[in-house]
Amino acid sequence: MSQMNGASSLVASLEAAGVDVMFGIPGGAILPAYDPIFSSSIRHILVRHEQGAGHAATGYAQVTGRVGVCIATSGPGATNLVTPLADAAMDSVPVVAITGQVPSVAIGTDAFQEADIRGITMPFAKHNYLITDPADIPRAIAEAFHIASTGRPGPVLVDIAKDALQKMTEFKYPASVSLKGYQPKLAPDAQSITDAADLIAQSSKPVFYVGGGVIKANASRELMELAQLLGAPVVTTLMARGAFPDSHPLNLGMPGMHGTVAAVTALQKSDLLITLGARFDDRVTGKLSSFAVHAKVIHADVDPAEIGKNRFADVAVLGDLKHTIAALIPAVKVALGKNRPDLTAWLRQMNSLKATYPLGYDVPKDGSLAPQYVIERLGKISGPQTIFAAGVGQHQMWASQFVSYENPRTWLNSGGLGTMGYAVPAAMGAKVGAPDTTVWAIDGDGCFQMTNQELTTCALNNIPIKVAIINNESLGMVRQWQTLFYEGRYSNTSLESKRIPNFPMLAEAMGCVGLSCDRPEDVDATIEKAMSINDQPVVVDFRVTRDAMVWPMVAAGASNDDILIARETAPDWDSQEL
Amino acid sequence: MAQHTLEVIVENSPGVLARVAGLFSRRAYNIERLSVGPTDNPETSKMDIVVNLEGHALEQVIAQLDKLINVIAIKEIVPNSAVPIVHDTQPDYQN
Repeated sequence: MSQMNGASSLVASLEAAGVDVMFGIPGGAILPAYDPIFSSSIRHILVRHEQGAGHAATGYAQVTGRVGVCIATSGPGATNLVTPLADAAMDSVPVVAITGQVPSVAIGTDAFQEADIRGITMPFAKHNYLITDPADIPRAIAEAFHIASTGRPGPVLVDIAKDALQKMTEFKYPASVSLKGYQPKLAPDAQSITDAADLIAQSSKPVFYVGGGVIKANASRELMELAQLLGAPVVTTLMARGAFPDSHPLNLGMPGMHGTVAAVTALQKSDLLITLGARFDDRVTGKLSSFAVHAKVIHADVDPAEIGKNRFADVAVLGDLKHTIAALIPAVKVALGKNRPDLTAWLRQMNSLKATYPLGYDVPKDGSLAPQYVIERLGKISGPQTIFAAGVGQHQMWASQFVSYENPRTWLNSGGLGTMGYAVPAAMGAKVGAPDTTVWAIDGDGCFQMTNQELTTCALNNIPIKVAIINNESLGMVRQWQTLFYEGRYSNTSLESKRIPNFPMLAEAMGCVGLSCDRPEDVDATIEKAMSINDQPVVVDFRVTRDAMVWPMVAAGASNDDILIARETAPDWDSQEL
Repeated sequence: MAQHTLEVIVENSPGVLARVAGLFSRRAYNIERLSVGPTDNPETSKMDIVVNLEGHALEQVIAQLDKLINVIAIKEIVPNSAVPIVHDTQPDYQN
């Protein structure tokens, strides 16, 4: 125990929590904390906007599995963290945000730079604190890290009044955390495992519906064993890309609004969804009442509130997925020993769909660049160890579709909140967490203009990320919907203005290498050139056709049965044996 | 629709009422009646929340409430029954 001020106690607590890096910007209310940060072992990366700090913390957490940390001052500093914290909540990412607050006597007086950030983040943060007594700092930090990283991970905010940072206190970091109202379940009940195994052994059309929870629980190896044991097809949601290798013959790809025909149909025609860390999101189910109507549901999740939220679960398995899948393996072995259904016909049907309706795209007849081709080549050339972070929109869907993900924690995106501008700062955080791995941000020109200022941070802090701007001079996904549902009335989706901004010049201005490419024959050489530069961030402006659309597509609110593989083109169901 | 009363034991700390009320608001559920009072333990308070919900919606409210870190235990007072349904996942809870 030693005497120090609250600020030093905060930094000592962060060190005790194992923090090695944090992303942030100082300001008035948090200023006392920045003095001990100056001499701390923790690497502080000075970002250019607090939103960048939040997404960087998320990117770091997604890649490392550790808690990402961001720090900001009161008022606007704190409110700028709202978007990334809401983003982290939707995608269950462990993030701790530290914010300064005005002095406790000024709270409630509309003081300069006062914002009730605890109140603002209450609806989505997993938990949050307002600390006015320096003695509470170590306990709050220990609890915040515990809550953020256990159970269903999520963001926790610790707001600390300036005077609590300034007053003297005794530093004593708690050896353990015990919260009466928070005891996440690790091991599932034995009965639920037996029930699940029994259902599996009765199913002739099972499918593994795999969500991001498998990656959060580091359960990919267990999933591989279980999937091979049963020999059932696997679909990986947008948040689960990489949880199961794309190259595996059982992997049917991504389900949902822009999923493969095989993955969408597998869920629709299945008699048993083995749901692992997925949450029946509307982008996966389409019209809920027509989703997988013949299927029974096993729903395994760490969050009890997800079970039955959108879809009734015939068997609920509550617990950490690593424990759950590990427990399922022997139970399924036993159950299959008694009764092993023949999955041959089911697999044949799904493989037929997979072969008949692979992901594809039209090559523009005018010689312009297809965005899908660029992304496909990025995946091929940079290889399966590469980490990709996408923004939100068409490029995000193509990045999910046309890169083959072989490993967990190599695909980062804003799946739940759909935050445009996620890619560059998330890639920055990812590169900090995995400095020896190639990190590509695949971004749209709309997204890129929201958060590219963090390239300055990257250039100045030796964070050499690579950015591929899929530049179609428009807000492409919105434009696609206008094409399909608004008779081509392109209201406010054109970003075209004579190549303004000039992205390579912008990149150069921020201390990065700027490249551009607008011909298919130059794509490989451009990517290889970008791959050869490892001492500076690189930005490549890929000038692609604006008319490309994301297919397949299930229109918002439509049934998954109405999946289209191109405009007004349904799969030829009559030729399929289903 | 039958009214159900949820007896919710919460930590006696600032902002807890806002958390509970906010959860109902955010998940688009109505509170029919609400009272908050002390318990024998100064560290906890008791909220009696009357809702016009049943079945799936009621289960969801209870599950979401239980996720609040400051919520320690939830009992559902069933109409015309002397025995409450205890949704208490916390074995060490002492009222």
